[in-house]
Amino acid sequence: MEEIENTDCMLVVGSNTTEAHPVLALRMKKAMRKGAHLIVVDPRRTWLAERAEVHLQLRPGTDIPLMNAFAYVILEEGLADNTYIENLTENFDEFAAAAKEWPPERAAELCEVSADDIRKAARLYAKTDKAGIYYTLGITEHVCGVDNVRSLSNLALVTGHLGRESVGVNPLRGQNNVQGCNDVGNNPVYFPGYQEVADPEAHAKFSKVWGKELSKTPGLRLDQMMDGMHDGRLKAFYVMGEDPVVSEPNAKHVESGFEQVEFVVCQDIFLNETSRIYADVVLPSTCFAEKDGTFTNSERRVQRVRKALDPPGEARADLQILHELAAALGDDWGPADPETVWNEFADYSPRFFGIRYPRIETFGLQWPCPELDHPGTKFLHEGAPMRGKGKFYGLDHVPAWEEPDEDYPFLLTTGRTLYHYNAATQTARSEGHMDKQDRCFVEIAPADARDLGIEDGSDLKVESRRGVITVQAKVTDAVHPGVLWMPMHFAEARANVLTGDGKDPEIGTPEYKVTAVRLLT
Amino acid sequence: MNSDLNVSFELDGKTVEVQAGETLLAACRKTCTEVPTLCHDDRLDPYGGCRMCLVELEGAPRPVPACKTTAAKGMKVTSQSPMLERVRRTMAEMLMTEHTSGNGVQVDGLEECAKELGVGAMPIKFENPRTWEDRNRFLAFDPGACILCDRCVRYCDEVMQCTALEHVGQGSEAFIQPTDGASFLDTSCELCGGCISTCPTGALYEKQATAPIAETEATRSVCTFCGVGCVLDIHTKDGKVVKISSEEGSGPNDGHLCNKGRFAWQFIHHKDRLTHPLVRNAQGELEETTWEIAYSRVVEGLSAVKKKYGADSIGFLASSRCTNEDVYALQKLARSAVGTNNVHSCAAT
Ligand code: SF4
Ligand code: SF4
Ligand code: SF4
Ligand code: SF4
Ligand code: FES
Repeated sequence: MEEIENTDCMLVVGSNTTEAHPVLALRMKKAMRKGAHLIVVDPRRTWLAERAEVHLQLRPGTDIPLMNAFAYVILEEGLADNTYIENLTENFDEFAAAAKEWPPERAAELCEVSADDIRKAARLYAKTDKAGIYYTLGITEHVCGVDNVRSLSNLALVTGHLGRESVGVNPLRGQNNVQGCNDVGNNPVYFPGYQEVADPEAHAKFSKVWGKELSKTPGLRLDQMMDGMHDGRLKAFYVMGEDPVVSEPNAKHVESGFEQVEFVVCQDIFLNETSRIYADVVLPSTCFAEKDGTFTNSERRVQRVRKALDPPGEARADLQILHELAAALGDDWGPADPETVWNEFADYSPRFFGIRYPRIETFGLQWPCPELDHPGTKFLHEGAPMRGKGKFYGLDHVPAWEEPDEDYPFLLTTGRTLYHYNAATQTARSEGHMDKQDRCFVEIAPADARDLGIEDGSDLKVESRRGVITVQAKVTDAVHPGVLWMPMHFAEARANVLTGDGKDPEIGTPEYKVTAVRLLT
Repeated sequence: MNSDLNVSFELDGKTVEVQAGETLLAACRKTCTEVPTLCHDDRLDPYGGCRMCLVELEGAPRPVPACKTTAAKGMKVTSQSPMLERVRRTMAEMLMTEHTSGNGVQVDGLEECAKELGVGAMPIKFENPRTWEDRNRFLAFDPGACILCDRCVRYCDEVMQCTALEHVGQGSEAFIQPTDGASFLDTSCELCGGCISTCPTGALYEKQATAPIAETEATRSVCTFCGVGCVLDIHTKDGKVVKISSEEGSGPNDGHLCNKGRFAWQFIHHKDRLTHPLVRNAQGELEETTWEIAYSRVVEGLSAVKKKYGADSIGFLASSRCTNEDVYALQKLARSAVGTNNVHSCAAT
């Protein structure tokens, strides 16, 4: 994280960093004070965008053509790092051919930005030696989320901006422990430590460790589980700390799915929409201040979480609940001690083997950390890309799952704000935070507001093919005409009532970022 | 670091080496030489306003502030002398005289420094008629405790780049306020509380804090609100959170926090917290029950579905806000105790 301060050029794509990752943004602010160039690619004029040398205020969902146009300029003007491409990459020709299809003028039209700005930004990024790319959900929450990320990695490869300090393609993860969740095996195709369920050796290993013949069938991804509730594949749900009825797209579809499920358990610190209506059993658990354990932040640093308080009433630590339940199901795991559990994970996950509680007492360690005396790994892809050679991809524009049309003429995109967190079950319980933002709003361009006779602060119905919600109008030139922006935090005005079923075909990440809607005053 | 980038000079008669560009204060700290500071924060630009950190530099007409003077080759510096001791005591005494009140919510660096030097306030009465009220619920300010060191203003300008605080007026008329004297809620302030964290006197403090810092116990942990993973200290008293802070240098966040990490902890003691297991009764309502009954309902429910439709008809969903250990246990419950790989979490990123 500290390497951001030393970068000379930041290309920030689809990330409203100052609101979604405020403290990380402080490093960016510091780099800006030291004179680093800043390029922002975002449909909204964010805090960073306002201060950027170039702000490409693109139409949501057109990232790939834009990045291809960057590549076009880099190749056309001889700004590519040919030595790097020759020695450390593969599939360059396919990529170059795809980039050729997108001269800046063509991309400019589709993306609704200026061709000169594309050229300027591409040059800045390519010509600065220490240039890094930073992205978040703005790039991944699309039907083409995986390809969007590839289009960014293409840029890093073609300029050789990889494997050194302050360069690379850096994902900024949304929730606090997304990284750790994946690391420890909360994934239908991976056992802990990214060992594939389909790999016979990994299967044999974990079957032996847990003393059970484990299932060889890869599991369902979240989006498949949501569909599975409808097609009969899924009959019971165990939900720990989540509120899928609020957080998953196409809320009506999720709700009617839950109607059909036979048995639901929710383990959480508050009742939420899902548990209130659908849970058969609710187990009261603990918040972060009431337990011991670890979180892994977005730079892969494993850090200690420590218990400062006892849980309220009869609430129990999540780990204790899970151990007691396992025992009740006939699977005895021994005492529910966080360090013992971590050690079991690390013992059988080579990339994490060297990380142990005593070593992270005062400062966290970054994995990979394979040995007990390994210092941890600051940069992935050091020297050369991890998979041997960096692979280029030839990519083309992927239209959004649902584009605006005559009936639903506005493009709605969603995001996060500084004062709330996801479904806001916690921040909405802080009066001081509600002082700043107490209800859901939708940002609309002054020209659109004028056309429709909408006044700043008035109530407005936003309707998609799936549902309708009422929010407050916020008239601002932070968004372009034709585009609306709305935060996703508010339970009484759920953006996900509107969002659709579009998702990335490879990993199932839902498209929260493009929905066609109309406005009713 | 390349050795010719290093600078060597004489400090209290000994030769010391520091990196080019480092200050005399950094050198003093490296050699464990005690030099008091008040207006200095490593995370801010060198300032040199309070003059607590004066040291003698051979050839200089007057003592120089260690926090603002860059070490140069061949310098001869004295950090401890009867003269410096006298100057420091006088400075501390004057500041203590200006510092007419305190609330104990924050550690009072000035008071500690004065105690160390063995001085207190001068026996003259210093009036500070200014009072301050604000409707925001997070930031409180006690003008009587303020020594006008400007750390808060500089933090907001340099680190947050929000310019939500200003130092107005001059001499005895000077004071600190949110821009144009407005409420913090109506300025560009983002309620990060960074100004509180840098204030050396406790003049800026947490409004929500329910007890003096001296009566609390601190537990170091990690913020749960986003992937930055800021390290923070939870201060508690009698089983309740008093406030949350973060220490410089303790984690990747270097003592910085945002409004969520520092202030969004009211949910922990909220009356809506679940305190008992609940089961849905015959009327379709959730009612309180014992753990024993709750567990047996879960076992019955899961076993019945498994028997009827197979283990793969059960799905497990974990929040990406749970600890690694909790999530590991959940996927083990799915895979080992129930027998399915249907485990996932909400955000794929
Ligand atoms: S008086 Fe000057 S040198 Fe001393 S602490 Fe204050 S700013 Fe630093
Ligand atoms: S809380 Fe943060 S933004 Fe507000 S005045 Fe203090 S430092 Fe500035
Ligand atoms: S409020 Fe604190 S930090 Fe700000 S000028 Fe006064 S003493 Fe210094
Ligand atoms: S304090 Fe703010 S930036 Fe830091 S982890 Fe918490 S939410 Fe993220
Ligand atoms: S600390 Fe050096 S002048 Fe204040």
